[in-house]
Amino acid sequence: MIWGFYQAMYVAPNDANQGEISRILYYHVPSWAVTFTFFAVSFISSIGFLASRRGHAERAQMFDAWALAGAEVGVVFCTVGLTTGPIWARRAWGIWWTWDPRLTTTLVLWLIYVSYLLLRRFAAGPQMQTLAAVLGIFGALDVPIVYMSNRWWRTMHPAPVFGGAPGSGMAPSMLHPFLWNLLAWFAWGIMILFIRYSVERHRQNIAAQEADAALHETSSI
Amino acid sequence: MNQSAIVDHEFVIAAYIVTWVIQLSYLAWLGLKWRAQKRGAARLKGGRR
Repeated sequence: MIWGFYQAMYVAPNDANQGEISRILYYHVPSWAVTFTFFAVSFISSIGFLASRRGHAERAQMFDAWALAGAEVGVVFCTVGLTTGPIWARRAWGIWWTWDPRLTTTLVLWLIYVSYLLLRRFAAGPQMQTLAAVLGIFGALDVPIVYMSNRWWRTMHPAPVFGGAPGSGMAPSMLHPFLWNLLAWFAWGIMILFIRYSVERHRQNIAAQEADAALHETSSI
Repeated sequence: MNQSAIVDHEFVIAAYIVTWVIQLSYLAWLGLKWRAQKRGAARLKGGRR
């Protein structure tokens, strides 16, 4: 992370058009890459949960923990993207926010996953995990819409740098710092993802032990 | 360094600080959650004895 910061701040050149403000790219774009990847983790795990909830209880709980971890850590990175973006926009466009397709679909994505976390926090009962899995699957459907939004619609957001129109891409002097930061943020994100997964598995084990203890007490009365 | 470049630099620093505040706050929250769970598990073990 330190090397990535050094590369972004001191090694990478200023952008020819935007100047130094373009250095936000080294934190902003990797945050979105991690966000989309972790929402995909949540999506796949939610499908896994629904497929295994009948007959494979232990496996279903593991999938559920991965789905929660992916969604929650994804929301953290999504929040980073949604705050660094307006800071960049204020200097580049002169405004903090505009309701253009890329920004609006991204805000909707954030709201969907925040509602997913609120559902998990406040809903109770055996159906909660199933409802959360369904919402996790529907929420992930917004990811390709966000990704393609600046290809499908006219938007203030810059055109895709990678895989965009012919001639798109990044100068090698900027690509190297960018890849360092991408690697660093993925490493950081994966570390947090595993911690969140462990915390959730621990909570599940405690809940199971409490349920066993309650059952034991009831049967001994 | 002209005035515009100074403001650009301040915005970059602001974006980096916001990023780290969000990331480290979440990590701290996870740490607190983990500690609370460990205490809960210890209480559960103690209650069983």
